[in-house]
This record gives sequence, C-alpha cells and structure tokens, in this order.
Amino acid sequence: MGPDLYAVPMDGVRKVVRAPLLTKLPTAPALVLGLFNLRGEIVPLLDTPALMGLSRIPDWPFVAVVRSSLGLAGLAATAFPEPAALGEPVGPSESPATAGTYAVGGRLAVLLDIEELLGGASRRGNHLLARPSMQGTG
Amino acid sequence: MSILDLESFRVLFAQEAEGRLATLGQLALELEAAGNDEGIIAAIFREVHTLKGSAAVVGFGEVSGCAHRLEQRLEALRSGASPVSSELVDALLQALDELSALTAQAVGGEVAEVGLKPLTIPTVSLPSPAAPAVRPPAGTHDAGVVMVPLERLDELIRLVGESAAAHLRVGRLLWERLGLEPAGIPEFSELSRTLNDLQERTMRTRMVPVATMTDQLHRAVRDLARTLGREVAWEVRGGDTELDRGVLRQLSDSLLHLVRNAVDHGVEIPEERVAAGKPPQGNILLHAMQLGSEVVIAVTDDGRGIDVSRVRSQAERQGIETAGLSDEEALQLVFRSGLSTAHFVSDVSGRGVGLDVVEASVGAARGRIEVRSVAGKGTEFRLIVPISLAVLPCLVVAAGDQHFALPMHSVILARADHAGDTAHAEERSAVWIGGMPVVVSSLVGTLGMPSTPPAGPVVILESGARRYGFQVDALVGQRDVVVKDLGQLLPRLGVVQGAGVDPDGAVLVVLDASGLIERAWQSGPAPADSPPTSAVREPPPASGVILVVDDALTVRELQRSILERAGYRVRLASDGTEALAALIGEPVDLVLTDVEMPRLDGFGLTEAIRSHPAMANTAVLILSSRASDEDRVRGMEAGADGYIIKSAFDERGLLTAVEQLLGSRG
Repeated sequence: MGPDLYAVPMDGVRKVVRAPLLTKLPTAPALVLGLFNLRGEIVPLLDTPALMGLSRIPDWPFVAVVRSSLGLAGLAATAFPEPAALGEPVGPSESPATAGTYAVGGRLAVLLDIEELLGGASRRGNHLLARPSMQGTG
Repeated sequence: MSILDLESFRVLFAQEAEGRLATLGQLALELEAAGNDEGIIAAIFREVHTLKGSAAVVGFGEVSGCAHRLEQRLEALRSGASPVSSELVDALLQALDELSALTAQAVGGEVAEVGLKPLTIPTVSLPSPAAPAVRPPAGTHDAGVVMVPLERLDELIRLVGESAAAHLRVGRLLWERLGLEPAGIPEFSELSRTLNDLQERTMRTRMVPVATMTDQLHRAVRDLARTLGREVAWEVRGGDTELDRGVLRQLSDSLLHLVRNAVDHGVEIPEERVAAGKPPQGNILLHAMQLGSEVVIAVTDDGRGIDVSRVRSQAERQGIETAGLSDEEALQLVFRSGLSTAHFVSDVSGRGVGLDVVEASVGAARGRIEVRSVAGKGTEFRLIVPISLAVLPCLVVAAGDQHFALPMHSVILARADHAGDTAHAEERSAVWIGGMPVVVSSLVGTLGMPSTPPAGPVVILESGARRYGFQVDALVGQRDVVVKDLGQLLPRLGVVQGAGVDPDGAVLVVLDASGLIERAWQSGPAPADSPPTSAVREPPPASGVILVVDDALTVRELQRSILERAGYRVRLASDGTEALAALIGEPVDLVLTDVEMPRLDGFGLTEAIRSHPAMANTAVLILSSRASDEDRVRGMEAGADGYIIKSAFDERGLLTAVEQLLGSRG
C-alpha cells in the first residue's frame, strides 16, 4: 500500500483480483469502499490502511480477497500482491492488528493479523466498521 | 457385537427414539381430546413397548427402565382401571419429557465415549440449530431421507443463481456479437427452461410444511390452558402449507406468543363462557394457506375479543390521538409498544414481550400482521409472509451513478414527476396521492451520496402506515432479486436490506423501505400540517381473477406482481395441464398464458378452454416470444382474445390489454 509492504498469510488468501466492478454501499462507513461480485458471492471491499487507522487509500488497482471467521473481505492494494516467503522477524509493529515486522528481500513487511483486523474492527463497536458515516464511499 | 457395531446401532436408536417420542407426544394430545379411545391407547402402548425393547438392546438401561415404568402405568389405562384425565395426560407428557432427556443423555454420552467426543470440540464456527439432542450422521435415513446441512443448500442456491445469470449474459452476447435472437435458438430456450426448473426446485429444498412446528404450539396451548383453568380445543388447518424454513423459524416465537395470547387473553374461563351463552370449551384455530407468493397464517380464537375502547383509552394516555380512527384502525394500535390486549399485565403470554415485538419480528421476515376482533366473539391475528426470503420481486431504479432495487411489496406506485400536481412546503416538494399529500425527497440525497438533483420519476414507498416519495433518475425495470445478507463483517445499515447480483455481474443494493422513510423523515423538517402518513388506502382500481400460466418462475412472479398491484386477484399455474386442472376447480375471468410450455402448450390450453362450455366466458390472452404472423394467426384460430409479444412487453401494455379484455366483458 503506497510505499509500504504488508503481508497476509497465504492460507488466508482466497484470490487476487484486478479492480473489480464496484457498487457503492450507501450509509456505510467510509472505509467500506463498496461491494463486488466474486463468482456469485457478495464481498465488501475495504480500505486497508484506513482499517489500521492510517490515511485513506487513494486508489485500488488490486484487491486481495481474504477469508475470516466473519466472512470474505476484499483488501484494497495499490500494487499487485505477490507471494513471498517472510525472512527473520526484525522487530515489533506499531499499528493495531499487526503481528510484527519481517525482512523480505531487502525490504520490510508488516504482517497483518486478519482476524484482528476484520473481527477486531467489527467487535470494537464504536470503531471503524461499526460506525456509520454520512458521506459517500467514492 | 463389537463396540463399533454397537455405536452405529445407538445412533440408529437415537433416530428411532426421536421419531417415536414425537409420535407419542402427538398421541398423548390426541388421547386428551378423544377421551378413552382404545385405538389411541393401544398405539401409545405399542410405541412405548417398542421403545423399551430397542433401548434395552443397545444397552441404555435407564431409558428402558423409564419406558418400563411408563408401560406399567399405561397398563392400568389399557385395562380400564383408570380413566383418561388431564392429570393422566400431564403425567404421560412429563414421562415423555423425561424419556427424551434420558435418551439425549445416553446417546450423547455414549457417542463421546466411543471416541467422537463431540462435547470436547469447541463449537465456534458453526452455529448449531436449536439444540438437537440427537444428531444423526449425514447419511441415508431409513425413510429415504438425506440430512443436508443448510449451508450446503444455500451454496447450491447461490450457484444455481449464478448459472442463470451467466446464461442471461450468454444470451446478451449472442445478440450483441452475432445478432442472433436467443429466444429463437431451441437449445438456448431448452437451457433456459432447465435452469428455471432447477432454480425453482432448488428453492423448494429449503421449504418445510407449517405442520413441523404446530405440535410445539399445541403443547404450549394445552399446558397453558391447564395452568389457567381454561378448556381449549386446538385445531390446525393447512398444516401441509410449505414455506421457507428460515421464514418459519423467524415466525415461531411470534406464533407461540399469539397462541399463548389467545389462551391467556382470548378464551374465557368455562363459567364465563357458559354465562355468555358459549360452549365451555374454547377453540383456537391455526389456519395456514398459500396465496400467490405469500403464505397467510391466521390464529383465531372464539374468546372475548379485544376491547377497542380500552385500546383507545390506553393509547390516549400515551398521547396518541384516536378520535379520528375507526374501530378497525384503532385496533391496529395494539402493535404499539406499551399497549396490551390484557386487562392486567401478566407474564404468561408474553414472557416479557409484547405485540410490538411480534410485529417487528414479522417485519424482519418481510411480512406484515393484521388483527380483527369482535367483542364477545373472538380475535383473529393474520401473519402474511413471503414464501421464501430468497427471491424478492424488486423495482430497479437508476439514481446517482448506480442502480438500486426497491422491494416491490413496498412500492405503491411509480410515476413521472408532473409539475402540475406537485406542491411545495418548507423546501420540500409533495405529490398528491389519493387526495393526500406525500412528501418527496431525492433518493441519492436521502442516501447521503453526492449527486445532481434528479428530475426523473417519483417512486412512492409505503412502510406501515407511512408513505414517502423518492425521486430517481429513471426506472430500469422489475426484477426478481436473489437477496443475500451482507454478512457479519459489515454493520447493520437501516436503509439496506441486502444485496443481489445483476445479470451483468454487478452487485445490486436492495434498499429497505422502512429504513429509507425513517432516514428521509429525519433528515429535514416535516411540513407541520400535512403529514405524509395515510391510514386510508386507495380502493383497488380494478377487480377480476386472472390465472397466469408460464413455466418460468420469474415471468410468473413478475406478472403476478404487476397484476396484483393493479388490483386483480391472481392465481398461478406452471403449464397448460396444471392450468386446466385449476380452471375446472374454480373458473377465472381471464387466462394469461405463455406459448411454449411442457405437457400442454398455450395454443393447446386455449383450444381446451374454448371447447369447454363452462369456460366459454373466460378471456384468453397469449403472451409469447414468437413474433411471427403465423403464430399470431394460430393463437387467434385457437380462440385467444389477445396476443402480446414478449419483446414488446411492458407493464402498461399488459395492463391495457387486460383492462380491454375484462372491460369489454363487463
């Protein structure tokens, strides 16, 4: 996302899709970018950095569809998500719903905790996903 | 017998016991109604005896011991030593409850011991259905029934829907790329038909008869009547009426509430009934029937009725003006929270919930509830719910830069915004509907989405007694939407009911009428003296009974919704043979039929109607995708009164043709 690398465990990834046809979901929180159709299943596309409390994503040419106990979700990405093996953990991470920083080649990647990112967001009640917003989602 | 063998027999026993205990429960209630009926007593005895034997074979000593004690008590009954009484039935039912608990315990414990240990597995992911003590494995049942998890059925429904959508896309491609009319390709039509059939059958797999929950209601009525000293006869009609399992489950608490209400607040004590010139025993009737794509479940009692003046005075105390309401309208106030049909508050009927909760839960099943009551004569509550939650007829509109679906059952009418009959008050515009002003807002504006003010048609929605107009950019058409829940990940949004997938693959958001009206109402000042609510409905502008014959579910439902909104009563048949059978049973004013159908086609049906003297007055309108002149001539020769081409088909055209045919006969 932007210049930063984030990682999700491969077994939690259902599919990677290129900019899906998006339908806006009125009155939803701003970090719900919309809904798209994944072979008959309706999947919400979420603003990944906004989920972690960072600034909103400018555009989303790619989407990683991840599985969670609350259902499928699309995580917006600015660059093509690629498989990679994480190297040694190099330290902790600061953002919520992350599980440490790892070396990948010459770069650093922050490992996301999908359940915490999605489940946590919906459980925390007055945070993030559970907060309706008046503004449009475009 | 090896341990494994024994285990599989115990699972079999669990299945058997479940069936026998259900039968026994039913027999016990029948016995109470019938008195000393030797046949019923013998049947009870037989069931208990068999259960005892089976339990002993698989080594469930406690179960067989309990059955044995029950058998001994029944012996006295069989020999005539003790008569059938309510106390005896009480004891019998209690013994059955005990047997059922012991069986569950025995089976659960033993299975775990053999190594499956289902109790130690944390059950986080799968929500288990209402505590089935016995869970037979998914395998073949001896009655030729396979147990299938609900999720698997839903998956099937989703895939069938997806196939139908893909098929439509292929049809569009054929037309756009190759210039071929899909309806003219037999293989394509064949596949359409098969997919339609498949879709309908798949939906049916989720349907269960109403009778699956009436025993539970009967037991509740019986137990409560015993506690309160009432005499109540329970009757069920139309128990084989089927509806979606999810809908029925959503209704079960409401029905339980209503029947308990009927015992508690409806049926009087025997002395009071006799004094009022009624038989001492009251009646509670549950009557289920299918009407079009809806199921009506009525709970009727012949008790004291609801005292409308009490409802009025309670409402007035809450600050609700009732002077302008007719008795029937005032009666509907019982669904307001805080109002009760009881003379004093008791915990019996409601278990702490009131009729407002019943109304809310019926609303959640996309249904509605009505009440009728005559003082001294009785009360009837009617729950009207869609057969299935899966397919929802919708009006699709364009607003902002996307499409939205509005549930057809909430749409009162849709029309162009004629400047002539709009009024303005406090920066809101209103249109006149049936002599009442209805406030209009922009749909996208209400949804909080950026847009330019729309100048298109206005769609009037109704929820409860409230009406509100929403201006959109354009009407797109009517569509049956397979509505899905948005899942647990997203918060509940008041204005969104769910979403479906368009044939072109885009997600279609289905809006919720009551949430929309609520939001529109809150987002601006209301005109002080012209509330948009109207308890007065327009009289149906048209009347007559129409039989719609088409093998495609979607087409049938679409026509049904168009005709019903125009005020006609509609019956349905899926081919010519079925239509003829329906017509012989009860004639109609007009038959609207497709041409290509299995068994008996539209031309054959028309000829059969014309050759039947009793149906000489029935008008026949053929609706076909065949545009050739030969076909039109053939339809006329067969005796049809009108012929409409499907590709030229629109709502107005259909209604005009129907009006002409019915009007000219008038």
